Amino acid sequence: MAAVEATYKEQAVLLGRHSLVGIVTRPPPAQQRDEPAIVVLNTGIVHRVGHHRMYVRLSRELAKSGRTVVRFDFAGIGDSKPRNDSTSPLMASLADIREVLDSLEKSHDVHKFVLVGLCSGADHAVLYTHMDSRVVGLVLMDPTLPPTFRYYVHYVMQRLKNVRNWISVATGRSGLMRLVSTHLINRMRPRAEVEGLNLQNLRFSSYLPQCYRAATARGVRMLAVFTSVSVRHTYKQQMLDAFPEASLGGQLRLEFFPESDHVFSGERERDRLRGVIADWLDSR
Amino acid sequence: MNPLFIGTATRRLFGLYEPAAASRGKPRAAVLCYPWGMEYIYAHRTMRQLASRLSAAGFHTLRFDYFGTGDSSGEADQADLVGSNSDVEAAMEALRDIAGASKVVLIGLRIGANIAVSVAAKHQSQVEALVLWDPIVSGAQYAQTLAEGSDISDRVLGEIRSLDLQSSLEGIPERSMILVTERLPSHEQLRLPVEFVQAACPWVEEITLSGALPVTAMKRIEEWLR
Repeated sequence: MAAVEATYKEQAVLLGRHSLVGIVTRPPPAQQRDEPAIVVLNTGIVHRVGHHRMYVRLSRELAKSGRTVVRFDFAGIGDSKPRNDSTSPLMASLADIREVLDSLEKSHDVHKFVLVGLCSGADHAVLYTHMDSRVVGLVLMDPTLPPTFRYYVHYVMQRLKNVRNWISVATGRSGLMRLVSTHLINRMRPRAEVEGLNLQNLRFSSYLPQCYRAATARGVRMLAVFTSVSVRHTYKQQMLDAFPEASLGGQLRLEFFPESDHVFSGERERDRLRGVIADWLDSR
Repeated sequence: MNPLFIGTATRRLFGLYEPAAASRGKPRAAVLCYPWGMEYIYAHRTMRQLASRLSAAGFHTLRFDYFGTGDSSGEADQADLVGSNSDVEAAMEALRDIAGASKVVLIGLRIGANIAVSVAAKHQSQVEALVLWDPIVSGAQYAQTLAEGSDISDRVLGEIRSLDLQSSLEGIPERSMILVTERLPSHEQLRLPVEFVQAACPWVEEITLSGALPVTAMKRIEEWLR
């Protein structure tokens, strides 16, 4: 059998002050390109390999094309030990990203990064990016989007088709009413800081548009990928409508995977995803 | 916790070694054998917890990814049962070297238990004890649950179909236990007593999402090994 790692090298590492467990995948030195390192974030509580091992294959393919890729576990997720302090889960994850970037900067002499995340991983990436100018790109798979007017129209149209929903509205138990009221209440209480925020209330928070705005103002490029079951995503242009002030048009590439579930269970979809990410990285 | 690669240049296996927190007398060591596929993803947290508990109880532990799975080298379509057996052998050898132990405990969950049985029967003299946690009793039945929409090749499905726990229990170490969190009628046919514990099934998605851990099962394993 030929050497399995002829075109890349993998190293098991402990990153940062909290010894976060990670894998650094690198091309041979002669093939190393002067490009940002790719840092892959956890999806929920699934450890760094990702669903269907999608991040392992992604890391190796990108390393074969000359890039350094790191996948790691947040503290308390996968193989990394939990923190012993009272930091909130969201703040801890953001601090972990900084620790990893600091650590890679020292150990691998890389100074620019692209963050990759699915679902909560995408949200962590967006929230972190505007705090650190070293992040120059984002790959966001099914990120959280705030509800838009057109989203509400789609949502209502869907709900009206079901008689049970009429009963819920009549009895005051409608999810729609809760959704709208939560939205309105949060609009009246805009949040300007990440402190106290969590991923559950992110969708209604004004903090999210602010993050996109700041990232685009800094020239961060973004690839946003949406699957068929993206949470609260009902039409293709929703991201542009959700963040109009962020002027995402020029820096954002949107890709849709209508055949894919949320975790890219199909091999063909995972293959296509890797191709899209590689193409986007090369298209700068 | 020490992340490391073991195995050979063509079959590099990612592993996590945790030294014994407190050990008295001869070093004791345990190799943990993961399930496959999505069961591996869902059970990962439980296996990490089990390793940490055993480490605190005085065991040097090593859990690792089979070739073609997790962070190990190889592609998913290269993973098979024959290879996974040899990976457990490599993990045993690595852990015995690191810990200075002459024997190891093998603990396997789901298909990891079936792999552990096979290796334990072959290397009895190197296995101190064997823990089979919710093993696959009938490979044919298990294969049916995998076949739909799975990426598993026909060759590997064939290997899985041929799994028969009852017949593979021949020649296992005297000190062996079967622990289950899910009762099945087929357990009654087994020649080893099956111990049931009320605990979450660690290999299913619901458990992962709810954050529940099969604490009673882990405690029972720890107790039994003392």
